[in-house]
Amino acid sequence: MDLILVNLIDGLVTGLLLFMLSAGLTLIFSMMGVLNFAHASFYMLGAYFAYSISLAVGFWMGLLIAPLIVGVMGAGVERYGLRRVHQYGHVPELIFTFGLALLIEELVQFIWGKNQMAYEIPEVLNFTAFSIAGNSIPAFKIFMIFISISIFIGLLYVLTKTRIGMIIQAALSYPRTVEALGHNVPLIFMGVFGVGTALAGVAGVIAGPVLGTFPGMAFVLGSIVFVTIVIGGLGSLWGALVASLLIGWITTFAKSYNIAMSDILQGVGLSMPENMDDSIWRDLWTVTSPQIADILPYILMVLILIFRPYGLLGNRDA
Amino acid sequence: MNAMTDMNAPALHIEGLKKSFGKAEIIRGIDLSIGKAERHAIIGPNGAGKSTLFNLITARFAPTSGKVSLHGQNLAGLAPYQINRLGLSRSFQITNIFPKMSVFENVRCALLWSQGYKYSFWNLVGRSRDLTEGAEAILEEINLTARRDLPAGVLSYAEQRALEIGITIAGGADVIMLDEPTAGMSNTETDYITDLIMRVTEGKTLIMVEHDMGVVFGLADQISVLVYGEIIATGKPEEVRGNAKVQEAYLGAALEEEH
Amino acid sequence: MTDMANNPTKPAVASPSVMLTFGPWIVSAVLLLILPLVFQQNSAITIMNQMWITVIFALAYNMLLGQGGMLSFGHAVYMGVGGFACMHIMNWDIFGSIPLPILPIFGGLFGMGLAMIVGAFSTRKAGTVFAMISLGVGELIAACSVIIVAFFGGEEGISGDRTYGLPFFGVEFLKQIEVYYLISLWLLISAGLMFLYSRTPIGRMANAVRDNPERAEFLGYSARWVRYYSFVASGFFCGIAGALFAINYEIVTEENLNTASSGVILLVTFLGGVGFFFGPIIGAIAFTLLQTVLSLQTELWAIYAGVLFVATVMYFPGGLAGVLMMHVPILRLGNGKMLIMPYIKALIPAAIGILGVCCLIEMTFHIRHSSTGDHEMTLFWTTFDSHSLIPWFVVIAVTTAAFTVMRRNLPELVATWHDANDAKGA
Repeated sequence: MDLILVNLIDGLVTGLLLFMLSAGLTLIFSMMGVLNFAHASFYMLGAYFAYSISLAVGFWMGLLIAPLIVGVMGAGVERYGLRRVHQYGHVPELIFTFGLALLIEELVQFIWGKNQMAYEIPEVLNFTAFSIAGNSIPAFKIFMIFISISIFIGLLYVLTKTRIGMIIQAALSYPRTVEALGHNVPLIFMGVFGVGTALAGVAGVIAGPVLGTFPGMAFVLGSIVFVTIVIGGLGSLWGALVASLLIGWITTFAKSYNIAMSDILQGVGLSMPENMDDSIWRDLWTVTSPQIADILPYILMVLILIFRPYGLLGNRDA
Repeated sequence: MNAMTDMNAPALHIEGLKKSFGKAEIIRGIDLSIGKAERHAIIGPNGAGKSTLFNLITARFAPTSGKVSLHGQNLAGLAPYQINRLGLSRSFQITNIFPKMSVFENVRCALLWSQGYKYSFWNLVGRSRDLTEGAEAILEEINLTARRDLPAGVLSYAEQRALEIGITIAGGADVIMLDEPTAGMSNTETDYITDLIMRVTEGKTLIMVEHDMGVVFGLADQISVLVYGEIIATGKPEEVRGNAKVQEAYLGAALEEEH
Repeated sequence: MTDMANNPTKPAVASPSVMLTFGPWIVSAVLLLILPLVFQQNSAITIMNQMWITVIFALAYNMLLGQGGMLSFGHAVYMGVGGFACMHIMNWDIFGSIPLPILPIFGGLFGMGLAMIVGAFSTRKAGTVFAMISLGVGELIAACSVIIVAFFGGEEGISGDRTYGLPFFGVEFLKQIEVYYLISLWLLISAGLMFLYSRTPIGRMANAVRDNPERAEFLGYSARWVRYYSFVASGFFCGIAGALFAINYEIVTEENLNTASSGVILLVTFLGGVGFFFGPIIGAIAFTLLQTVLSLQTELWAIYAGVLFVATVMYFPGGLAGVLMMHVPILRLGNGKMLIMPYIKALIPAAIGILGVCCLIEMTFHIRHSSTGDHEMTLFWTTFDSHSLIPWFVVIAVTTAAFTVMRRNLPELVATWHDANDAKGA
């Protein structure tokens, strides 16, 4: 029972982190029709910038400044890169963001090198908040949950209760109409892109100390984020939340409970082959849930695509 | 034509067709029967639902209720390409061709399925006489032989509309639906396209949405007037012209436009 | 000016100019035959083998991207699976009765088989959704490959020996040059078949569905099935490329399936130009050369590749082939000569400037990442101290001068370009 609680918290942390990334991505997609392949790269930049800033002026300044820098960079990418490529169509747009992701990864290695950075949890948060059944829950994780939820609430408030939020929501579906009403839609696009990438940056700032700050971090998380928004439904913010939490919990639980496939198969009545080394099914028999924990999201995505192609909460025409 | 079609059935039969988008009911119940080789024009003010009607027949949208039959066969649940294979072909209000392919290629693609090539990967289109000759014949009909190797996107507007019509009839469909074929054209261009339509739809069933009354009265055997998602009158051109309801709703204003 | 235009249209009736139709193929065949006689070192043969395999893969990839308008992010799996399948066949006893030259067919069949399964649900939609699915499936299979050790061999992959096959007219394929000719033969066959495919009804409709899926539906074609068949055909030729890879390197690993490899082939194809049949061929050759030659010179070649890629997407979406074909109207008008001087005056300073920037990048990298005390570096056959100011001044001066000259000469190039396109001539 206590182990379940620990996993719930861990899964929540992962899920909320994933949500911060997928929220920005799905917003950008629903507005501009562009799937930003480089989104996770901004997450990585957030971590790296925060690390460098924290060396100079401490973690908290890093938390404040790094997302701003990343957001500005994101807006710049939209204004000078994406807008230019937009005229060639969706496929070149995708290819552009893909190339950008590659480039950013190379640049990060150029500036900071290939090794993992020693991005530390700030001293003030580096203690154990509480213990459950012998497992200690670090305060930093609670902090991560707190930050993620406050950002989500802030985002929801801005989008639904403020004037700019309503304009953005309108621009999400009917950009030309909104433009005809006198609003500067290109500026809105640039802004949403910037905010989306800044969100990714924040995720990087708080995840960097925990998940590690290294050049491959964008790639590792990147494809999971895409899987998340496909499962949730392209363009659906709530779908992104549901899918993120789902994936966070599924992977956490799969990793912590060592369920062996052989038990399941034997439970169903199949008998284990005698000579495991020769059997072509040996991998299926020896696989355990921690091994496949990381590919469970992909399997889920494929299933969704077969049975419910518009995602859990997406629109039918996605 | 296949086993499910009825030789005696009207070419197109619509029964109780309704379509709502959310709470907005665009098509409020249409009953219409169009006979074989009939030339039927559908007119009506803007926003009456004419394009929606077309889209419902050709399965771009699914109806909220009601039934559409082609030669007696119910079209419910069929995809656009399946309906096309049954012998119904349409053109679009906004020109819908393959802009990057040459004019010749456009027409040739329109011939492929009807000539039986289907998904073949063992024929070379360049070597198929029937395709080449068939395409050239159609190009002659629509008078675009001189432009055959140009990318379709660089043609003038009227030429593109002519190409659109060419593509629509190329497959040999016997029910042709044209959505505002003369939209945005000058007088000369309109006459030219009208003449073209007369020629290429000889012997076929033609259903046409049009705003230009001159074209309508010149071409149509029967006219239906669509207002607010309902047909308020159907009949021969003179009958419809004289119908008081129609004059009130629509023709009254249009009579001044007629050339 | 559309960069994505398909092959320059020729009249559909059989052209009397057989030379034009068969010419390029005959020239290619001859080139393939004599190249190893010119470049005889084993290293050159190895590079060429890699090139031809990449060409086949890139052409197969372009069946989807350029011809079909479908962007696939996980396409390496079809090549990889074809390779793994052939590797296993090479390890079976039955291989003794199979001549090596027909092995790629099995690779093709395996690649095609996988494509038939995946395509069943992935080709329902085109565009972004298709790209996402391909990414997910690609990752899934790549991730499974470390778990399913029986087929994928885990971390070490699967290796084998190609010489155990049935000798083919006495040839056991021990030597690299023998493999070269085998690969060249399959290159000609595959490229030829893929070219012919684009001229079949399904190939033409693939173009049509790419441009206007709705219109294609109203011509009687299910866009979904057209995409499916293209997907399956592409999988077949990817499998052939995979088989040749297995034959050439005698080892196939997870690396052949992963997203990185999928990314590379996208880069290669796009760089070459997706709008023309020969685009991927140029892209594959150029990229292989870039990769092998450049990676020997500098650790940073990946950055240059990345910058090149992004610049291509932004400024030359037609790729190398697109840039080349832009010159065709000018050559047709006979105005080619007009461009020579302006090109020299603008492009050579540009090249020097770009090299200068590369030098600066290399020097910055050296300062930042070299071990302390190691100040010496070599660029362009000059050894110097990267921490002293003089080299920096020199490079910055040369670069600035080069770009200034370029900017001064660019207007002339632009004007000449417009003149050259004018039918009335200079």
